[in-house]
Amino acid sequence: MKTQLMTEMKTSISEVMETMFFLPVEFGQTIVLSRAGLDVQDTMACKLAFSGDISGQVILAAPESLVLEMAENFMGEPRDQLTREHLTGTLQEMLNMVCGNALRNTQASTPFELGIPEIINLSEIAQDDQFHIIDTDMSKLGMLLKTD
Amino acid sequence: MLYSILIVDDSLPMRAVIKRTLKAAGYGASHLLEAANGEEALALMKNSWVDLVITDYNMPVMDGLAFIKAMKEQDLFQDIPVVVVSTEGNQARIDEFMKAGAAGYVTKPFTAEAIRDVIVTILGEADYEDTTDDGDEDFDF
Repeated sequence: MKTQLMTEMKTSISEVMETMFFLPVEFGQTIVLSRAGLDVQDTMACKLAFSGDISGQVILAAPESLVLEMAENFMGEPRDQLTREHLTGTLQEMLNMVCGNALRNTQASTPFELGIPEIINLSEIAQDDQFHIIDTDMSKLGMLLKTD
Repeated sequence: MLYSILIVDDSLPMRAVIKRTLKAAGYGASHLLEAANGEEALALMKNSWVDLVITDYNMPVMDGLAFIKAMKEQDLFQDIPVVVVSTEGNQARIDEFMKAGAAGYVTKPFTAEAIRDVIVTILGEADYEDTTDDGDEDFDF
């Protein structure tokens, strides 16, 4: 089931990024964040737990510059009017939509329960966690699916 | 006719997107109210007239389902239509919302048309042309 969930997560990321943020994506390699070419100092991360037939959590890590672009596209507000709350809220909402969409499309006997997305510090991510790297026109982001 | 529409979502960006969608759908002149969860929404509704509620499901403090149930228990609020806009899109969950009294359901990610269609079904066509120049004319998901 984890394989099916991962496939749905990738499909969902493509759909959400294109539909809500107007950013086409391509999936790249699976690698630890420090080797993915992401500027760790500039990276925001968000975590969302889920439970159901399969339980776990999804973590998204994205450079602040990309989150700013996403927020601008999502809300239609000029970037000089966007606050930190807009950026964190955009990343949280993106992860919420990605997970909800993916879990909805995953064959399950009982409905999944989603937690509340929370912004986390990169230090909470294990050094050896393998992220799926997603390329956009302007930069990369990483997605990690962990199941219990 | 101008309406008073309450948007309940813990996400500030999502509330902004829904407001923008409502403006694009012709409800821009309506009184658009915001709350971050069900409890905050109920408190706001005690002091403000509301014609329609648009609510998320997954929120801290009081989620969308508990909020709808609380509304339907109060004479003053029980006839106010509620549209749920949520990532929770499986049929069992939708049935649960409808049984609790929701009038419509839109799944995230959504298009502006999906929001517009469900609101028009409930409130009717917006007969006010939004003339504010905020660039919303070209808005579309």
